[in-house]
Amino acid sequence: MSKIDIHQMDAAFKSALTDLLYQLADDDFILAYRGSEWLGLAPHIEEDVAFSSISQDTMGHASMFYQLLEDLGEGKVDDLAHSRKAKDRRNAILLEMVNGPGHYLKKPQYDWAFAVVRNYFYVQMKKIRMDSLKNSSYEPLAQIAINVNLELYYHLLHWRTWFVQLMQAGDEARKRMDAAINRVFDDFGGVLSLGPLEDEMSKSGLIEPEEILKKKWILVMEPVFDSINVSMPTNFGMKNGNGRKGEHTEDLDTALSILSEVYHVNPAAAW
Amino acid sequence: MSSEGFYQEFEVFSKRTVTSPIQYQFSLLAPNRDLALIMAQENFMRREPVADIWVVKRSEIRKLSPEEKQSLKRLDNKDYRNTKGYGYLRKKWRQYEQGILDEKEILSWGGVKKNEQD
Amino acid sequence: MSKAIFNEKLTNEEKYDHFIKRITEGEKIEADDWMPDDYRETLIKLISMHGISEIMGALPEKEWVPKAPSLRRKLGIMAKVQDEMGHGQLLLRVAEDLMKPLGRTRENIMQDLFSGRLKFHNVFHMEAPTWGDAGLIGWLVDGAAIISQTNMLDASYGPYARALKRICAEEVFHAQHGESIIIALAEGTSEQRKMVQDAINRWWEALLMFFGPADATTTGTSKQDTTIKYRIRTKTNEELRQDFFTKYIPRVLSLGLTIPDETMHFNQEKQQWIYEQPDWSRFKEIIRNNGPKSRERLELRETTYHENQWVRNALNMAK
Repeated sequence: MSKIDIHQMDAAFKSALTDLLYQLADDDFILAYRGSEWLGLAPHIEEDVAFSSISQDTMGHASMFYQLLEDLGEGKVDDLAHSRKAKDRRNAILLEMVNGPGHYLKKPQYDWAFAVVRNYFYVQMKKIRMDSLKNSSYEPLAQIAINVNLELYYHLLHWRTWFVQLMQAGDEARKRMDAAINRVFDDFGGVLSLGPLEDEMSKSGLIEPEEILKKKWILVMEPVFDSINVSMPTNFGMKNGNGRKGEHTEDLDTALSILSEVYHVNPAAAW
Repeated sequence: MSSEGFYQEFEVFSKRTVTSPIQYQFSLLAPNRDLALIMAQENFMRREPVADIWVVKRSEIRKLSPEEKQSLKRLDNKDYRNTKGYGYLRKKWRQYEQGILDEKEILSWGGVKKNEQD
Repeated sequence: MSKAIFNEKLTNEEKYDHFIKRITEGEKIEADDWMPDDYRETLIKLISMHGISEIMGALPEKEWVPKAPSLRRKLGIMAKVQDEMGHGQLLLRVAEDLMKPLGRTRENIMQDLFSGRLKFHNVFHMEAPTWGDAGLIGWLVDGAAIISQTNMLDASYGPYARALKRICAEEVFHAQHGESIIIALAEGTSEQRKMVQDAINRWWEALLMFFGPADATTTGTSKQDTTIKYRIRTKTNEELRQDFFTKYIPRVLSLGLTIPDETMHFNQEKQQWIYEQPDWSRFKEIIRNNGPKSRERLELRETTYHENQWVRNALNMAK
């Protein structure tokens, strides 16, 4: 529970905090949802099991961030996850993108290279963010960051292993990985962004400034690219828009209608 | 690099806590040991604590063949190797008004208090 | 067996007698032990079917993983379907070790599935059109699976018994996960209650079929005699089905739900449940991949297997 009296919170601080929490929660929630679509369809049975644990962890983290929002009076955790419209979501667009053409039950042409690159790059950024949030001026968030951080070592090890191995695995894999890296970089700016309230977030000590976090990400990722003799791209784009501003794609609309289908049968009922 | 295929057999071992012995879990298929390692924990220990994981390529393990397992049998005539063969000492020491230094007694000498042990 | 140490050739008959003696005395057979060919074949068939059924069994519930109505339900069903994949992993490893001397691997298992040579369990050919079905699968289909799997916990084949021990421990979670969904629905709105009742009505016949026909006269073949002879299982199909009724019918009724079989009752005199037989010819059709969802699910499995082939090719080289 929050020790800070939310009624005494400065309005600018509160809106920056709320916005940051929506970013953290929505990022993890939608990526875990994409992970849940992969369940049963990974390239290898053993990997399917490992990947699902990561998706569960990630959805668990989303749930913790939504709980902080509930504590701030934003509404119930499950309503926050299931009933908010796309324009109210703050996740980065990269994380809402489909796993590939097709549907998770019908002819899914899911792209494992995209899964590896998107997850690896995102988890590395999430780790940097959690490290920064450990010193957040909002104590309940700092506590959650410490806990979330615990599980990210495994996520990182997992995705980095896949990334490095597939990057070194020869022609076809390399082509697919390069294509995935390009796609991810095209929208990775959206992951790095803290949105329009970034100034207030960093000024009030909620999290370090975007530029610093971005530099940290580059600093950890460059040696990984160096180790496999690849030069790291530097164009962090927002090709499909900035999710932090509520800009989203059709991919999110479709995802939201699927993930809230049963919830919407009767949002007031106990399920 | 040799072409051995994607489905290599690895045996997975783990420790439950830092002080527990390493224990066999199960086998999995993986193309190499790094991938075997990152899949091992969630495949076999996703509901229990784990302090360490080993993966070993099955072909690197020299096992007994079913025939060789015959070599494990032995006669039950080796009480000279066990305290069982020296049980009469308890009575002897009693004559000298001393207690026997049995396993319980000797292992209590380590100075570790009961509640610090596993 | 002292002859073996001196590399003396044992006749097959001697080996067979020794094998029977071992399993009769409750000893466990291990992968590299000598075993009769029909024991190996029976095990390969049974365990690869069991394993691939877990892998295919992930699919009917998979539909409901992204759709589950709350964060907690999303997490619970993700963990449950993950376990199905995990059980598939354990069982296929056991089957693969048995197939190894025959030069066969997981690749062959997948190909056999796609070609229709390897069958999967009848229940996983069925539709799961509502969230109620997701709950029902967890509750009654897993309940039936627990009955049949615990029956083999003491199987004479050690690796299978050990895999089942792990699986059954996790099935306890599955059973409670299913009950939790069902009780929430049964205690919910009339619409939610209807969801459960409709699911029971839809699944009842498949549940009866779950344990297989009572004897070979129904469908022409039955492996149950061989598996009992070799101490892989102890009870017959019908005994398992009766156990299932005994455990689950009172629970279904206690929630105010009904069984879609008016003839269903417990006969005190015979000490058994009387019920209407399912259409066993339909059962045969279903397991021949002609069930309502057989094609679609096989296609889904095959599509992703091929879509991901490049990953397995890329890492084909040992590092």
